[in-house]
Amino acid sequence: MNNEKARGARMFGDSHLVVVDLGFGDAGKGATVDWLCSPEADLAVAAVVRFNGGAQAAHNVIADGRHHTFAQFGAGTFAGVPTLLSRHMLVEPIALAAESDRLAALGVPDPLGLLAVDGRALLTTPIHIAANRAREDARGSSRHGSCGRGIGETAWYALEHDAPTVADCRTPSVLRAKLDRLAAHYDALVGPSAHGYEPIDALVAMYGDFAHAVRITDDGELRRVARRGRLVFEGAQGVLLDEWRGFHPHTTWSTVEPRNARALVAEIGGTAAVLGVTRTYMTRHGAGPLPTESALDLPEPHNGTGPYQGAFRQGHLDPILLRYAIEVCGGIDGLVVNHLDAPATLCAATAYDTDRGVVTELVLGRWRDLDHQQRLTEQLSGATSILVPIGADPVPWIANRLDVPVVLTGHGPDRRDRIAHREPVPRTGNRPTLSSVTQVPA
Amino acid sequence: MGYGHWDDTAYRAGKTYRARHGVDDFGYTAETRSQPYETWCAHPLLDPFGVGTRECRDSAEHGESLPVAVLFDVTGSMGKVPRIMQDKLGTLHGLLRSRGYARHPQLLFGAIGDADTDRVPLQVGQFESDNRMDEQLRAILLEGGGGGQKSESYELAAYFMARHVATDAWDKRGKRGYLFLIGDELNKSRLAARHIRSVIGDHVRRDVSVDSIYHELEQRWHVHYILPNQSSYYRDPQIAAHWRGLLGQNFLKLDDPAAVCELIALTIGLGEDRVDLDTGLADLRDVGSADEADAVGRALGAKPGGGMRALPPGR
Repeated sequence: MNNEKARGARMFGDSHLVVVDLGFGDAGKGATVDWLCSPEADLAVAAVVRFNGGAQAAHNVIADGRHHTFAQFGAGTFAGVPTLLSRHMLVEPIALAAESDRLAALGVPDPLGLLAVDGRALLTTPIHIAANRAREDARGSSRHGSCGRGIGETAWYALEHDAPTVADCRTPSVLRAKLDRLAAHYDALVGPSAHGYEPIDALVAMYGDFAHAVRITDDGELRRVARRGRLVFEGAQGVLLDEWRGFHPHTTWSTVEPRNARALVAEIGGTAAVLGVTRTYMTRHGAGPLPTESALDLPEPHNGTGPYQGAFRQGHLDPILLRYAIEVCGGIDGLVVNHLDAPATLCAATAYDTDRGVVTELVLGRWRDLDHQQRLTEQLSGATSILVPIGADPVPWIANRLDVPVVLTGHGPDRRDRIAHREPVPRTGNRPTLSSVTQVPA
Repeated sequence: MGYGHWDDTAYRAGKTYRARHGVDDFGYTAETRSQPYETWCAHPLLDPFGVGTRECRDSAEHGESLPVAVLFDVTGSMGKVPRIMQDKLGTLHGLLRSRGYARHPQLLFGAIGDADTDRVPLQVGQFESDNRMDEQLRAILLEGGGGGQKSESYELAAYFMARHVATDAWDKRGKRGYLFLIGDELNKSRLAARHIRSVIGDHVRRDVSVDSIYHELEQRWHVHYILPNQSSYYRDPQIAAHWRGLLGQNFLKLDDPAAVCELIALTIGLGEDRVDLDTGLADLRDVGSADEADAVGRALGAKPGGGMRALPPGR
C-alpha cells in the first residue's frame, strides 16, 4: 500500500467529483469534501455543488482548529470554496442565515458572499416544518425517523402544487399568494397541533431580505463556474436512504444516489468520477433496518439523539449493504474509508440468515418500484447477520470485498488526518467466499 | 418552533440578510446623523405631530386585540440601553405569542426625548402585529440628546397615549392595555402646553399637572416604568421615589437591560393571568434565557428569601 500524500489532480484527471455516502449518512462526506477542496489536495476546485437534500444535512468538518456542522453551506467553505445550491436543493433561508452567522463567528469572511442559489430550488418554510412536526407527532411510536426539518413536506407538497421557490422571494406578491395557499393546505394538520409559525407577512419580508442578500442564479451558472475549475458535488444523507432505492418507508424524500449530479455534469458536457464514502462500521440515525446493529459503543462526538430523528445507532461493517449501495449508484470510481482510528470492530457481515435461507446479496429492483423496496425492508428486518473477522488492516479487505479502489482514508476527524492513495489500494485480491465464512458472535 | 428561542426566527434571519446588503438595523439613525443637526426630524412613520389617533383595532384574524405600547428614553443618559432596546424589542411579539402570554397582542413602539432641548422629543409608531413592528423599530431616531437636568418628557408621551390612542380593547370590552415606559430620569415638573402644541399639535393653552395626566392614563392602561441598569441614574433614590409615588409597584428596576423583552412579556402574562411568576421564570430558563430569567426574577421581586410580590391584576 502506498500511503504517500498525493497530488489529487493526478488521481482524478479533469473529472468533476461526486461524493456520496454509501450507507445511511454520517460516514464523513463533509470531511471528504473539505479535504478535496483544501490546498493539500491541490485539486483546483471552483465550487461545491449541493445536489440533494436541504437544511437537514449535518456534515462535520474539523480543519485549522475550527469545527462546523455544515448544513446548507458546502463543506468546502473553510477552504474558501464557493457553494452553489442547485435546483435539486431544498433551501431553508432561516436556517441558512443562522448557519451564516455561525460561520462568520468562526472567522469565515462574508459567508453569504460565497453562496449562489438556483432560483428554481424549492423553498422549505416554517409552514412545512410545522406540518412535518405535527405529522410526525401524530405517528407516535411508528415514526419514520424524520429530522423534523420539513424536507419531506417540501418535496411532497411540490409534487401536486405550485410550491414556493427561491426565485419567488424576489416577488413578494407571488410569494405571499403561494404561502397563503400553502398555509391553507396545512391548516387542518397544523392548526390543532403544538406547532406554529410566524405571520406570513413576517416571512415575506424576511424572504425579501434573503433575496437581496444572496445571489440567485439560473441554469447558466453551473457552466460558468465549471470554466473556473473543478466542481465537487456534495451529496447529503446516504444512498441507502434514497427515496426510490432505500428501504421503504424508512427513506428520505430526496434522490440521494448520484443520478442528479451526473445529469448536471452531463448538461455542461463534463465527466464525473463518483467517490463513495463509508466508515469501517455502519451507522444509522433513526428508525429502519440495520442488520448488523450492535452496541459497539464507539465514540460519536457530533451525533446525538434528536427529538424527531431518534437514537444514533451503530453496527458492524456490512459489505452486503455497501455492495447494494454501489449498484444503486450505477457503480463508483473510488472508495473513501473513514474512521480508521475507531477502535476496530474487526467484524463484517458476509451473509444474512433469514426466514428464507442464507442471503449474500440484495437484489436491485426496477427504479421506483416501492413494493420491491418494501420487500427488501422486510427481508432485512428479519435478518441475522453472519459475521467474519477482518484482518488488522481493514482497507485492503474492504477494497477487495467491494471491488473498488480506495483513494482516500480518514484516520481521525481532522483535515490533517486524511491520507490520499496515489496508487489506489488494489482490488485484485480474492473476495472471501461463503465457504470461507466463520461465524463469530455479534 | 424552529431554531431560535422564540418564534422570532424570521426576524433574526432578516437581520442577518439585511446586514449583508448594508442595511443597518438602526438605519434611520445612521442616515439622520449624516445630515446637519438642524434638519433632524422624526421618521414620518413615527412623527406624532397632527396624527389624530393611533388605533389598536380587532380584526377578523385577531378577534380580541390586546394593546401593548413600549416607549423608551433615547437620551444620552440612557447610554447603550436604547440600542439594546431597539435590538431586543423586535422579539417581543414572538415571545408573547409563543408562550401564550397574550393571544392577539398588537404592539406600538415609541421613543422619548427632552422637549426642552431635543430636535425630536417624541416618536410614536402604530400598533402592529407583524413585521412592520421591526420596520418601526428601525425607523426610531436615537438622538442621544437630553438636557442634563435629570428630567425628560415622559409626561408628554403620557399625554399622547392618554389623548391620541384608541383601542377596541377599551372601547368594546372595557379592558386596559399595557404601557411600558423605559427610562432613567424624572418627569418634567409640569406638562407644558407649549410642548403639546409644538410636538403634538394640539391647541392647549394651559399647563397640566403630571399627576393628573398619569391619573388619566391609568384609566385605560396598566402603566409600568422600567429603570434599566447601564443608565445614569440606576441607583438614584430620587428617581425610584418619584416613579414609585406615581405608579406604585409598577415601578420596576431591571439589572440586565438585555432582559427587557422577557420582563415585559412576563409582566403581561402575569397581568393576564396566563402564568404565575415561578412558571414564567421557569419558562424563560427552559428556552435558555437563564440570565434574563434571573434579572426578570429580581425585577419582579422573586429574590430567594424575599417575599413574592403580588402583581397588578388583569383588569
